[in-house]
Amino acid sequence: MSGYPVLSIIVLAPVAAALLIVLVGSHPKVPRVIALLAGVVTLVGSLAVWIGYDKVAGGFQFTESVPWIPSLGVSYSLGVDGISVPMLLLTSIVIFTGVLVSWNVETRPREFFALLLLLVTGVFGVFAARDAFLLFFFYEMAVLPMYLLIAIWGSTRKEYSAMKLTLFLFAGSAVLILLLVLAYWQVGQGTFDLGVWSAYRFTDQFQMWGFLLALVGFGALIPIFPLHTWSPDGHVAAPTAVSMIHAGVLLKIGAYGLIRLGMMLFPHGAHDWAYLVIGIGVVNIVYGAFCAMSQTDLKYVIGYSSVSHMGYVLLGLGIGGRFALTGAVFQMFAHGIMTGLFFALIGFIYEQTHTRAIAEISGLMHRTPLVAACFIIAAASSMGLPSTAGFVAELLVYVGVVTQSVWVAAAAFVGVVVTAAYLLRLLGRILLGEPSDAVLPIHDATPLRFAPMAILAATIMFVGILPNSMFTMITSGILPLLRRLAGG
Amino acid sequence: MGGTAQAVAYLWPELIVAITGALILVIDLFLPRVGEEGASSRSWLAYVGVAGLAVAAVATAARAGVETTLFDGIIVLDGLATYFTFLFLGIGALSLLLAANSVPRFTRWPAEYYALVVWCTLGHMVLASAGELFTIFVTLQLTSLPLIILIGYAKRSGKSGEAALKYLLLVLVSTAVLAYGMSLIYGSLGTSTISEIALQLGKAERIDSVVALGLVLLLTGFAFKITAAPFHYWVPDTYEGAPTPTTAFMSVGSKFAGFALALRIIVATTHVQLDWPLIFGVMAALSMTIGNLGAIRQVNIKRMLAYSGIAQAGYLLVGVAALSAAGVASILFYSVAYTLANLAAFGTIINVAKATRSAEIEGYAGLAKRAPLVALTAAIALLSLGGLPLLGGFMAKFYVFLTAAHEGLIWLVAIGVINSVISMYYYMRVIYVIYVREGDTEPLVLDPSATLASAVCVAGVLALGLFPEYAFRLANEAAAVLFR
Repeated sequence: MSGYPVLSIIVLAPVAAALLIVLVGSHPKVPRVIALLAGVVTLVGSLAVWIGYDKVAGGFQFTESVPWIPSLGVSYSLGVDGISVPMLLLTSIVIFTGVLVSWNVETRPREFFALLLLLVTGVFGVFAARDAFLLFFFYEMAVLPMYLLIAIWGSTRKEYSAMKLTLFLFAGSAVLILLLVLAYWQVGQGTFDLGVWSAYRFTDQFQMWGFLLALVGFGALIPIFPLHTWSPDGHVAAPTAVSMIHAGVLLKIGAYGLIRLGMMLFPHGAHDWAYLVIGIGVVNIVYGAFCAMSQTDLKYVIGYSSVSHMGYVLLGLGIGGRFALTGAVFQMFAHGIMTGLFFALIGFIYEQTHTRAIAEISGLMHRTPLVAACFIIAAASSMGLPSTAGFVAELLVYVGVVTQSVWVAAAAFVGVVVTAAYLLRLLGRILLGEPSDAVLPIHDATPLRFAPMAILAATIMFVGILPNSMFTMITSGILPLLRRLAGG
Repeated sequence: MGGTAQAVAYLWPELIVAITGALILVIDLFLPRVGEEGASSRSWLAYVGVAGLAVAAVATAARAGVETTLFDGIIVLDGLATYFTFLFLGIGALSLLLAANSVPRFTRWPAEYYALVVWCTLGHMVLASAGELFTIFVTLQLTSLPLIILIGYAKRSGKSGEAALKYLLLVLVSTAVLAYGMSLIYGSLGTSTISEIALQLGKAERIDSVVALGLVLLLTGFAFKITAAPFHYWVPDTYEGAPTPTTAFMSVGSKFAGFALALRIIVATTHVQLDWPLIFGVMAALSMTIGNLGAIRQVNIKRMLAYSGIAQAGYLLVGVAALSAAGVASILFYSVAYTLANLAAFGTIINVAKATRSAEIEGYAGLAKRAPLVALTAAIALLSLGGLPLLGGFMAKFYVFLTAAHEGLIWLVAIGVINSVISMYYYMRVIYVIYVREGDTEPLVLDPSATLASAVCVAGVLALGLFPEYAFRLANEAAAVLFR
């Protein structure tokens, strides 16, 4: 379009920055500056894609393709559609704010930022890949640095959590390897090009198994019940920026993969397993919400709320139809920003008070009004209150669900009620009342610390108030999927 | 064929290697006598060996296009032989680099060590192009005998001697099994040339059960060599007890010498009414599972790599079970990826052992601070062994699985991918110790040649992971030779 390989710039800028950090980052402050520059490049790039994407034309745009391993039919092939563009934007916002949040990382900053950026390249790569092999390649690249990021910079049973996360995700990717290998021979054209794969009509039998493999493989990362147990542990153990990226964007790779490889390739399979996906979605929503309610650690609350909120994505994908699917993708974006904000806030509170125990925190409103305001915005989005991104997403999903099944809607609605209950109670405990001993000495965030929170909160509000900014984009990406699901 | 003289003219690479080994010994003879401490002043002799192998590689490149048989089929020169010859020369050269400075630390006679590595490489090279059973038999001894000495080289370490004894017994048993298998085949078919055997088996309606038994015994002999289950019991003890440079050398050298041979014989006998895919599939599944489960419990990194080597033999056998040109190509690609990653890992072990005098995994704590680059090479090597994208090991595994799935061995692929998850656990655990655990902070004094070898290997691992196309093409061309 513009003549610049903008997607390559977005995907490769972080890894290039990571290499640069490894080479020149011996000064403790240099890595974060390089990381921030990479964040700016990806943010500007993603905004350019966002603005430049032709929503009327739809389809894959900004495409690039270079043969990579011709003998296997693998190519470095990038392109984005209406589903990927919001994900690129989400990732670049979260990484940009994540670098800001990590500004004061003092333990081995060089390795920290290098790994963070490597991970982000993997995430961008997944969202931009148009080749199944490439997508998987980037997927793995996003998973591995997580291990070291948690094991070295984490807290609370970090070694256990890191290993648990890694093994779960590798188990998921093992299933995906199997899927890739089988699909490759089924298509039989010696290519991993997703365009070719989407055009191929897989047998019904193959679709049934193929979708199940995709559901289990990507589901480990979404995370679907009962493969979710690594997730809260992982969120809690991870350092702030990593929690943000982890819950904010990494989980989306799972859902994105399920759409791209599961539903696009195996629409019949998606149909066969729709009830399973819906069922898991409802369980995720309700079970996650109840678990969140009984937690005493702030991070665990948000960790389990992620399990719950990703349930809406599953519910939307399982229900299908225009509203539910749009809602699912909308929720992927909304949840990413919202959870990023939550973890940024909790990171700040923890840094200041050295505790995440809900019982020890109260009266934040008095000492840190700006932070408290952001907390309210994040919670509002999480509860699905109007004028926030979460509202639009949940509404769309519910509209989709109600038209299909009132019972499913009613079951899922339990989750909404429980979510409202635990979040309101949480807000009351930590924001209101007299400042506790831990909260008493702290002050509101400095402008630098507040900037990332403000950016994330503003995004939530912006998308919530002007949902059309996101809606038309996502719809343009959903339409081909709808046609596919309808058997076209 | 233009007589012996012309045949010999084709064998320049082998002659150069033979002469190189002798040259090292002759030079050593003229050097002044040294005591224990002076042994390290001989380490430059290893570079003589490297140079010799490099010259041999040039000679091999000059011979590359040749397709012929020499001495009535005893030696087969073709693309496959060339591919393996290059591989073995590379393994020899890298092993010499690993050994250069570390061998003088445990012996007064490093020159003999280097010479034996060179001659053992010669044995591997000849095996790569051997086309006849008795040549194979004799050449196997040429590789086994030096190895026994190399394993027992650290005389003062009791474990080294024990390992050598165990390996000696293994060699005796596998030799006996091989000899028996060969005699059965020769007795039934009246020929010992592989191409002749293939021809006869191709014509026969039904295969004599004696021949089938002979083939099975033959492959049992190789299974010892390639460290496949259930013939793997000797591996952990021998790998642990042998001096580290020897372990590095044998972990890839003798393994792939076994494969070089086995591939020719297996492909030549595809007509036999033996269910090769099932036999090798079961062997692969056993090797992968036993190797990976065994590796989990190890606290000594050499033992861990021994078990990992058993598992890796399993992945390679998945390619054998596929029994297709692509399957063989995937093994060829895998052999290079595994060699590079494994030797890089052993380079790290040599570096760390220099400081800690042990190969316990706990000794790696804090390595990331003591020697960041060594830590990085170790991490990359281990991740490649585990099969992580970006790295050669991933491409290799993926390719093997891809070819096996094409032949319908989906159950085997499934077992393979499950195993690769298990393997990530123990590879990651070492990385955890290296990067997370606090340990000594004193900077590590590096072994220059071993570090160089590791660096070369890691560069290769990255190159294979990111730009595998060229290697894929070479492997495919070499594999196609067997299927004409």
